[in-house]
Amino acid sequence: MTDLITLRGVQKYYGDYHALRDINLTIREGEFFSLLGPSGCGKTTLLRVIAGFEGVSGGTVMISGRDMSDVPPNKRPTNMVFQSYAIFPHLTVGQNVAFGLRTRRDIAKSQHAALVKEALHLVGLDGYENRASHAMSGGQRQRVALARALILKPKVLLLDEPLSALDKKMREHMQVELIRLQRHIGITFILVTHDQEEALVMSDRIAVMFAGEIGQLDDPETLYRRPNSRRVAEFIGKMNFLPAQVTGIDGAVTLDIAGFGVTQVPHVQVPEGAVIGPAAVGIRPETLAILFEGETASRHETTATVDEVVYYGDMTYYDVRVKDVPEPLTIAMKNLIGRPVLEVGAQTRIGWDERAIVVF
Amino acid sequence: MSLRVYVIAYLIFLYAPIALLPVFAFNDGTIIAFPLSGFTTQWFTELTQNAALHAAVRNSLVIAACTAVFATILGLCAARAGAMSDFRGKKGITGFIMLPLVLPEIIVAVSLLVVLRQVLGLSLGNWTIIMAHVLICTPFSIAILNGAFAALDPAMEEAALDLGESRWSAFRLVTLPLVMPGIVSSMLIAFTISLDEFIIAFFLTGANPTMPVYIWGLLRFPSSLPVIMALGTILVALSILLLTIAEIFRRRGVRRAGGTDTGGFL
Repeated sequence: MTDLITLRGVQKYYGDYHALRDINLTIREGEFFSLLGPSGCGKTTLLRVIAGFEGVSGGTVMISGRDMSDVPPNKRPTNMVFQSYAIFPHLTVGQNVAFGLRTRRDIAKSQHAALVKEALHLVGLDGYENRASHAMSGGQRQRVALARALILKPKVLLLDEPLSALDKKMREHMQVELIRLQRHIGITFILVTHDQEEALVMSDRIAVMFAGEIGQLDDPETLYRRPNSRRVAEFIGKMNFLPAQVTGIDGAVTLDIAGFGVTQVPHVQVPEGAVIGPAAVGIRPETLAILFEGETASRHETTATVDEVVYYGDMTYYDVRVKDVPEPLTIAMKNLIGRPVLEVGAQTRIGWDERAIVVF
Repeated sequence: MSLRVYVIAYLIFLYAPIALLPVFAFNDGTIIAFPLSGFTTQWFTELTQNAALHAAVRNSLVIAACTAVFATILGLCAARAGAMSDFRGKKGITGFIMLPLVLPEIIVAVSLLVVLRQVLGLSLGNWTIIMAHVLICTPFSIAILNGAFAALDPAMEEAALDLGESRWSAFRLVTLPLVMPGIVSSMLIAFTISLDEFIIAFFLTGANPTMPVYIWGLLRFPSSLPVIMALGTILVALSILLLTIAEIFRRRGVRRAGGTDTGGFL
């Protein structure tokens, strides 16, 4: 895949407020890229910088090898789906979708109707040309916004929290549809979201942003399994943290984990530049296991007391206390056939695996 | 029960003087007093034959129309700036612009007279009244158009920009149609205010009086009182009509922009 968008040292100030701090980023042709982060992290600002709605205070924005830093949004090969969808209420669905064709002298007027039909077909709104746009439901408005943005065949489609206004069922449905749409037309999608699950489900790569900086940029699996910092680990999924000591870094890294004991992990699980001394260890809830009657741990085990039980139907989440660990640990267990749900106060054994450990 | 009495008394207090206008406008007698002496349309006929009054009405209509246009253009600029951009001191400036709303008109009239005659040495005429009326009408226009812009999603214009339109055409194609009901409403309100404004017109009028100034002049002749009543009846009917149309347009604008109504002048 070739590079489509390159941001070099992008800075953005609003008065004294430093909204984007030295953003360096390359987005490839045809990938589904997500900007993920808590509100106020600068992800929407970054999207608006790429769209051209915000100028940069420093650095360059390159699209297809051209410096676009000073190019206004109407001259950029990007189109946007706004969070509010911004469907023009005084125009019909067809007129909304055709809006972008007005300024395209290279497309004959006679082709407009066919292009609108094609764009509406793409989003599953065949035959909606003459509908009044203000009478559409949330999901339909979003489809109109998509069709309106895609009719111009942009190089990049920018999506600003497009699913946040939809209910849970509709959101999950649209996630799948957006992925399908992106694979079908093959252009780059850049999605802004604060929903880590949405980003994991939809993206080829995710940039996690905090306070105007990119904390980590990786594919979803790496991001989840090998978060490079505690804040990334906390933001994406759930993570248990345990105090630990790094006692050796020759060959493998030797760790003394509170309540779990001494183990060795390969260097890939440890951040670069780790030194002997105190550290924190992260373990995902699903990589720990309650050991029921007759079950044995594949690697290591320790004893624990059940502190809290949350039953989700398909899963049960246990909070357990382990001796010498200050915070209770969360364990996610599938409710398989024959597996009981433990009660609060029960003594149990838990299994753990040093391969699932991340050191910070 | 007592609440009902209060409401009825309140409504009489508000509207009895206005309700008396048409009563005496059609009364066959030059003295404004009960009992009524008969029905006539004589005073309306006299209205149609008074050339000086026609000139005054024409003057007032020209002034009101110009005021409506200028005040609305200024209001449009201010409301758009207030709604779409953020700049230092925005709150203070907005408050400052709205100030003429609460300035006593007599003060505005006197100071304008001093500035125009003594400081600038200009002669008075319709255009001086238009300037002064724009001054007092612009805050109303801004208030109405602020409502229109507040109901407007700022992403609308950006969406048009994103789809290839220039800033100006994005404004013309998307923002303008969406705030158009507010513009019509603002023009009608400004027109109505200017049409019956007396104090400023009285101070700044040149050789040709406006309609309210002319009416005031007529008051010196008791025999012409019924004619004033007839004129007043027409004016009240016209004002109610214009304000109703303005309100209809304002509500339509809020609906079209997809917002919920948060009240207005009516």
